[in-house]
Amino acid sequence: MTETDFVELVEAETGLPLDTADLATGFDDLPGWDSVHLLKVLSALEAEHGITLRIAQLLDAKSLGDLHAAACAAVAA
Amino acid sequence: MSLDRVKELSRAGKLAENYGEVPSLLAGLDETGLRRAGMLLARVDAADVDGARFTVAVAGSSALQPLEAPLTAQLARHGFVPDVRLGGYKQYGMELRDPGSPLFDVEPDLTVCVLDADEVFKHLDTPWTAADVRDALTEHAEHIEALVTAHRADHAGALVLTTLPLPRHWAAQLVDLRSRAELGIAWREFEARLLRLAVEHTGVFVVDMEPLVGVAGPLLDPRLAAYTGVQFADGVLAALAREVGHIARALRGKTSKVLVLDLDNTTWGGVLVEEGPLGITTGEGPVGEAFTAVQKAAKQLASQGPLLAVCSKNDEDKVRIAFRDNPDLTLREDDLVALVANWGAKPDNLRQIAEQLNLGIDSLVFIDDSPSERGLVAANLPQVPVIAVDADEPALHLHRLLADGWFTTQRVTDEDRVRGERYRTERKRMEFRERADSLGDYLAQLGTTVELFVPGEAEVGRIAQITQRTNQFNLTTIRLDVAAVTAALSDPDRAVYGVRCADKFGDHGIVGAVFTSTEADGARRVDNFLLSCRVLARGVEDAVLRTLLAQAKAAGAPALHAAHRPTAKNGAVADFYAKSGFSAVGEPGGGSREFTHDLAELPPPVQHVELKTLTTV
Repeated sequence: MTETDFVELVEAETGLPLDTADLATGFDDLPGWDSVHLLKVLSALEAEHGITLRIAQLLDAKSLGDLHAAACAAVAA
Repeated sequence: MSLDRVKELSRAGKLAENYGEVPSLLAGLDETGLRRAGMLLARVDAADVDGARFTVAVAGSSALQPLEAPLTAQLARHGFVPDVRLGGYKQYGMELRDPGSPLFDVEPDLTVCVLDADEVFKHLDTPWTAADVRDALTEHAEHIEALVTAHRADHAGALVLTTLPLPRHWAAQLVDLRSRAELGIAWREFEARLLRLAVEHTGVFVVDMEPLVGVAGPLLDPRLAAYTGVQFADGVLAALAREVGHIARALRGKTSKVLVLDLDNTTWGGVLVEEGPLGITTGEGPVGEAFTAVQKAAKQLASQGPLLAVCSKNDEDKVRIAFRDNPDLTLREDDLVALVANWGAKPDNLRQIAEQLNLGIDSLVFIDDSPSERGLVAANLPQVPVIAVDADEPALHLHRLLADGWFTTQRVTDEDRVRGERYRTERKRMEFRERADSLGDYLAQLGTTVELFVPGEAEVGRIAQITQRTNQFNLTTIRLDVAAVTAALSDPDRAVYGVRCADKFGDHGIVGAVFTSTEADGARRVDNFLLSCRVLARGVEDAVLRTLLAQAKAAGAPALHAAHRPTAKNGAVADFYAKSGFSAVGEPGGGSREFTHDLAELPPPVQHVELKTLTTV
């Protein structure tokens, strides 16, 4: 999944205006981001790609980049 | 894609200035689309948008951020400019009690309080028993009842509460079946107590979540619940938002009035001009029963106020034959207030139906299986909600028809229950009038009867409604609510009469009201006189006035006084008293005119109107 596809999905699920540069931004510096968004994004990734993510572990993710990497790994596995 | 257009406007920062497009853009979206659009709409500041604002304060016992987007989308879909404000996490107790809470910085049109089961169980010590839950629920119910009372005392806007479906992961922690039954009983008794709040308080509505979870479940997403405190899955919140949207419509008087049915493959199966009036699919067999379910639901809705009409591309004569002769149809022509079957464009035909019924086009809801017909209506009449059904799957028709509460209303009145009948008899009356040789002939054969009566408790609401709704035949345009009508009734110096009217075609019901008072010298005064336009120009107003004159004379009054106070709409009755034997005695200003009748000579009885005697003087 490309970074662009990923960011589009995050935008759709959160309503936050983002671009690929935000992958590296820490969640603390992402205006409007909250833990509900995190869960929504992970659930949507699972539904869209037919994967299962270890959500309990991803609760500690620091940035969208971490989520993207975890999703790519799950797709590849 | 309409969602793409919402995104585009959002990205360009142009949603606020183009908000007029939004209802149409949302019209075709599914729940996911509405949720996604709702997120973008929620970022718009309502203050930047022109239009009818609708403010909702959301409080609850769980994290409710995910309700914001679907609720915003639902309100916008109905043409409101939504302003949804979320309360603090689990702060509902404080918030509902405290009108100074930040949640109420702007006084909301509606407060929504979403309750959940975890709130109850998390306060119990482990281990717990069914009896412990019962005790906790009793306490919780008292708490909520007190919050409702507090909210009603502080806020004019309505309050919506939700029932709280019992999640299996709590019930399953009891191993014995008897205890599980006891838990179920205690739970349902608690929910019944919540629902009772909607019956006991005006302005309090309780959304019963159980039927919603049945179609939109599962109730919760365990991961979302565990990690974020969100106790409801998106599907359930979307269904709740939909209900709240329709409550908002009802509160603003935007409840739809007419269900307009397509026929072929919507109301019955098959194509009438091909299969013939007896060959269409309805009644018997599994597929026939699916269509019968639609017809029965339409009839059920129509028994409570909504009107039914048909708009079909068809041969009119074949349609009429089908309704008359097909024994398996539940609906008959008599159930309809308008039937338009031709090969013209449906938007034109829908406009014709609205005109014929003297209703706004936005009162209509249209259901059709043809994507092209639906598209045409949506494009030309964006104010008309369109319900899509799929010709290939009639089992879903009933559920599509009922998915939205277009006809949701606060309370059904007696007048609502017979509205369809009134429209149908009016149509017969018009046809009869067209056939009559002369107006006198028509009136003679119409057999009008008029009754003046003193309204009882059951009729006071209708009398108040008449003072609110009547504009043309309203001599002084004094609008009264139920309390004011009741006060007039209990005042010994005043009198209130309702006017009932019927004719050979049927009962018009209560069509008018008269308010009178007795002055210091014993003279009577008509404070106001109102009649529905439906019964004008057939002698009813003259018959009522003659009764008032006769009554004043019999009581030994020296005169009957009356007045006309002009408004933008009651000009047609400016000369009513002058034409009825009253003398003009003054113009107190503002265009008002005073009249008096000395009662020396009563006008002759009105021809063609039979007057039923007034019981009280």
